[in-house]
Amino acid sequence: MDLYGTKYNEEPGGRPGLTFNSLKRSTQEQISAYLFLAPFLITLAVFFLYSTGRAFYFSFTDYNLFADPNWVGLENYLSLFRQSLFLRALQNTLLFSVIVTTVQTFLALVMATVLNQRIRGLAFFRAAYYIPSIASSVVITLIFMWMYQRRGLINYLWTEARRHAPIILLFIALVIVLQVAQVIWERRRGYPARWVDPALFLISFTVGAIGTLGAWVAGVVSVRPLPPVDFTWLATRVRLPGWAPSFLRVPVPLVAIMIQNIFTTIPTMMIMYLAALQGIPPSFYEAADIEGASVPQKFFRITIPSVRPVTFLVVALSLIGTLQMFDQVAIFGDAVPLESVITLSYYVYDRMFPGAQLPQVGLASAAAMFLAILTMLAVLVQRVFIKSEAE
Amino acid sequence: MDPRKVIALLLGVLLAGAAGAFAGGEAEQAEPDPDDPVTVRVMGYGGQDPRIKADLLENVIGDHLEAQGIRVDYEPIEDDYNTMLYNQLSAGTAADVVYIPVETAPGIIATGMIEPLDGLTDLSPYLASLNESFTFDGQTYGIAKDFNTLGMFYNKDLFDEAGVDYPDENTTWDELEEKMRAIDDLGDDVYGAAFPAQFERMGAFAFANGFELDIETGEADLLDTALVDTVEWYTGLVREGVAVQPADMGQGWGGGAFGTGDVGIAFEGAWLLGYLGDEAPHLEFGTTYIPRSPHTGESGNFLYTVAYGINNQTDHLEASVAVLEALTSPEAQQHVLEGGLAIPSREELLELDYFERDDREAVANRTIFEGAEHGNVYGFQFGEVGTDWLSPVDAALSEIMTGEASVEEALQRAQRELDELLGR
Amino acid sequence: MRFLKTDERGDPAALKKADGDITGWMARRRWARVGIVYSVMILFAIILVGPMLFAALSSLKVNPLEYPPSLRIPELNPRNWVTAAQLGRAGAGDAFQGGFAPGAEIPFDLTYFYPEGTDPAPPDVEVPRRRPGSGLGAARTIDYAADYAEVSALEVVERERGEHEVDGTREDGVFVTYSFAVRYVGDGPLVGRVPLAATAERGHHYVDSTLPASRLERRGMVASFDNIAPGLGRYVVRNYSRVFDEARSVTTGRSLFVAWTRNSFLVAFARVLTNVVFASMAGYAVARYRFRGRFLIFFGLLFAQMVPAQVTFISNYLLVRDGLFGLSHLFGRDTFLNSLWGVIIAGAGSGAAMIHAGMVFVMKQFFETLPRDIEEAAEIDGAGTVQRYIRVVLPMARPALGAVIILTFQGTWNEFFWPLVVLTSPEEVKTLPVGLLAFRQVYGVAGDWGLILAGAILSALPVIVLFVVFQKYFMQGIAFGGSKE
Repeated sequence: MDLYGTKYNEEPGGRPGLTFNSLKRSTQEQISAYLFLAPFLITLAVFFLYSTGRAFYFSFTDYNLFADPNWVGLENYLSLFRQSLFLRALQNTLLFSVIVTTVQTFLALVMATVLNQRIRGLAFFRAAYYIPSIASSVVITLIFMWMYQRRGLINYLWTEARRHAPIILLFIALVIVLQVAQVIWERRRGYPARWVDPALFLISFTVGAIGTLGAWVAGVVSVRPLPPVDFTWLATRVRLPGWAPSFLRVPVPLVAIMIQNIFTTIPTMMIMYLAALQGIPPSFYEAADIEGASVPQKFFRITIPSVRPVTFLVVALSLIGTLQMFDQVAIFGDAVPLESVITLSYYVYDRMFPGAQLPQVGLASAAAMFLAILTMLAVLVQRVFIKSEAE
Repeated sequence: MDPRKVIALLLGVLLAGAAGAFAGGEAEQAEPDPDDPVTVRVMGYGGQDPRIKADLLENVIGDHLEAQGIRVDYEPIEDDYNTMLYNQLSAGTAADVVYIPVETAPGIIATGMIEPLDGLTDLSPYLASLNESFTFDGQTYGIAKDFNTLGMFYNKDLFDEAGVDYPDENTTWDELEEKMRAIDDLGDDVYGAAFPAQFERMGAFAFANGFELDIETGEADLLDTALVDTVEWYTGLVREGVAVQPADMGQGWGGGAFGTGDVGIAFEGAWLLGYLGDEAPHLEFGTTYIPRSPHTGESGNFLYTVAYGINNQTDHLEASVAVLEALTSPEAQQHVLEGGLAIPSREELLELDYFERDDREAVANRTIFEGAEHGNVYGFQFGEVGTDWLSPVDAALSEIMTGEASVEEALQRAQRELDELLGR
Repeated sequence: MRFLKTDERGDPAALKKADGDITGWMARRRWARVGIVYSVMILFAIILVGPMLFAALSSLKVNPLEYPPSLRIPELNPRNWVTAAQLGRAGAGDAFQGGFAPGAEIPFDLTYFYPEGTDPAPPDVEVPRRRPGSGLGAARTIDYAADYAEVSALEVVERERGEHEVDGTREDGVFVTYSFAVRYVGDGPLVGRVPLAATAERGHHYVDSTLPASRLERRGMVASFDNIAPGLGRYVVRNYSRVFDEARSVTTGRSLFVAWTRNSFLVAFARVLTNVVFASMAGYAVARYRFRGRFLIFFGLLFAQMVPAQVTFISNYLLVRDGLFGLSHLFGRDTFLNSLWGVIIAGAGSGAAMIHAGMVFVMKQFFETLPRDIEEAAEIDGAGTVQRYIRVVLPMARPALGAVIILTFQGTWNEFFWPLVVLTSPEEVKTLPVGLLAFRQVYGVAGDWGLILAGAILSALPVIVLFVVFQKYFMQGIAFGGSKE
């Protein structure tokens, strides 16, 4: 399977087309085909092939838009790796791509599994989930920037979570204790109750909520009078987590973009997974149920292998998207320190249009070539990786 | 829904929308009437500038230019101006008259796209020290439209409430720190001063303390005690919470933080006056000089200036010179001064009665004007690397303020990156 | 299956009872599971749609950064609607738009709290000379209400003792309500808005007024009102009307947001047209014909979507800058920079393009599912290739063309990178996403998020409406290979 789920080299149509005037016919076909393809091929040639070739050529020159280009050999590629800004861009891009791809693929699959129920209203919810993905990156980034302000929604929710921490923790503890107690009791009665039994969970949840409320009213737990959290999400150079080695630390503004990116991409991926999950025969799960497989066992043994082709597609799209992340960096702009969020794509743009100096077209082209090769390598490697897993 | 209906509906809507839009588009692109006056495009900053320019054209120089058959279009660039200037110069789409900021002047002029002004217009009425920044190999490429320095703006309400005296010309850092602490004690959300993690502001203190920078080459010793001491004091106050980084108040710059009314002091130029007039019209403020270093007893400052230059690809050289002269005419500069944007570059205007007035805007402008000769003043120029010089230093300040690195570590790293940038 | 105890084995009655038991137990579980699934779905919906919804509601507020964030929005309070409409009618006889017209007399009340031991002096009320916002619209000359307004003397209409919370502690004191009117003196133009500022002494506290104050300045001493005669419309969708009113071209004075919207529609329409016509042609050729180089074209399709736009934009930028081999002279210009044609014609790689590789792919996939019989029948009837394509093939391709239209429209509407490169100056040549970035830069500095959010929400509306109506095609698009831009 390739990226689009078809084989490129298969015969079109499907009917063997040999007739008595086959030679003439095939010539006709050639001409018609190229006439139909002409507009597409012309734009592809000018805006894709020619431009890629020209960027490749520029990457070996010192072109600056004003003076004529001079051949400098590999100098641009070598000097890239001496530039701290490029190294930072490379580091940011790799961290961003790996973390975001992993998290969003996993979450999308988990969410799809939860939603994989034959129930009414699924179409409505699916549509609702998709809404954040259809708005432009600018709209979503502006809304997130607003939420990331010092006294914005995200710090507010964080503040409230911290203030209510004792209550929340008590509630969670109660639910766990109740659930465990119920499951043990049901098993004693001879029912095959699971640790995550839904009916019992509803009871645990309700009783836990009432218990917590009671404890709150009785004053056993209370809201802590903590000051508002004033975490700086944007204009900061702090890198997290502090205990990690330097090359694994992620700048906070980049974390902000990661959260936003995961948020907007999950729905699309979830819908792709959902389509694949609904194609798994229910008999698979029923057979597993009879053998007494647990929920995680079913997830890892049945669900994940069944959706492997979709996983390939999702991971490939995600890698391409994340390695080329540009919009968010440009929109955050001067609200964040450049080196905290700069990615390879933005580095290319930045060298093409630097503010303080002459444009460095050669350097920009070299970085662009590097990015293109990185993208293709990533897709290739994951393809080999996921394929070999399947065999 | 029937797919045929869907397509028909969609195409119908799109066609109707586009027909209207294209019709509008064509009307706008029509050739100008030959009887129309020559249009000279001027490209400059966004922000407050469009308002001042429109006002200038409408009330001061518009009629004069119209009489010569010249119309002026001001194109404000809201994006990074320097990028846009390089971009448009290389593309041949740059305006006839362009702003040339002092920090990028060497690079811009080196492109060979700017017309030398010698012989085209009289350069003598302008302050020589300002023209100098735009003179290369004996040719002058720009006329400073105005200049600016930093002043200390203080919020009178907060000083009154804290019961401390307003700062003045002789205030030292130590005295200032006491006042800041008193103001900081007023409440959780009140801070003594806005200290951005930027050399653009901290530099003025460093210069006061005796730090030296070679603005021709950008070379500097960041481990010089004059700088290290300044950084320790400056960042220490932020770490203690007495001063605040504007970003930590959700503001993009010191002026924005000052405009909230919760910050005692900010260090900005005359551009702050226009901002406050729009965004915080009721704020009661005063202005004085950058405080003196307790070690040297001196004050320090940056000199910011922007020039008008002429794009040598222009089709209307004469008209462009006329526009440049009108924009820097005594009437225009006086108008800009009183609009609160910047200080005139014409020598004769420095004698203006305006500077003797005692309203807060005039006091601020006088302070900022005199700041140019008050203590250790450096031009806002960093050799050929331009404002890229600032990145390593700003990164160091930021890391120190958030406790990521010690003063020593951060400055050492900044020095390494700076050397790499300067190609040493 | 319930596990039977040893002594129950072989007892049919016990077995039957256990069976019935377990059926009920399983049913209970199923219902519980459905309940939980619905709850989880609602939770996901809140998490995913919540931010946009909350942003949309907050965009109505004067200050969307109000802390703590609250959904008690004065702009959504019907009592304030009535007041705003009344004030609008008093100001300009227009309950919806409001304003300030000759002969107007706007009545207004202010309530202050004076703690025990302070002297209850009335606040100082004035109509300030203030321009609406700064930035993109600031260049226009406007009329100021201050030049025509006269504030009448303040009259005490109510005085009441009571308690009020000051800095977290309750204090005794007296509430005083003042009444006054703002009159239009003489004759003059209709002014859009009437700002008002009430300055009190330190220690006196603003409590309430006819309409709530827009903000408190100088540590609570100044209660500042952006407009005391807003009318219903200007009050409720204040920030939305500002999007259109305040951001204007400095040269023509026209609304920038309208220009950006028009540009976005233009580019999107042009791209839809080129993709529908040319991508379907290309897709058809690849699906139906065998020709030399077919394999290479597959590679082209694949790579064009994988190679980053940052690779191709360098050369494409220069091509557009230099007018695309002289093509620009046909349009009477030397360059395609800062022109919508530059955006429409050029552009390739993984970004949207005049003929998008992804759309070619969608069409190819579709044509491969179509049976050949009808085409062959048409061929036997003597229809030529082109005729056959237009008369027979395209009408059958409606569902796929629908997907191409929708996906291209959405992709182009949202496209950011290429317009950012081509469209820089003046402001009115931009498309909506690039224009919104200008909003962010100009109004973000002043922390004016109301206007930014309103602009963002407005710009997202067309695609959201499109999505709600043509949802099916979006889902199809994802199924065809996820060409989300």
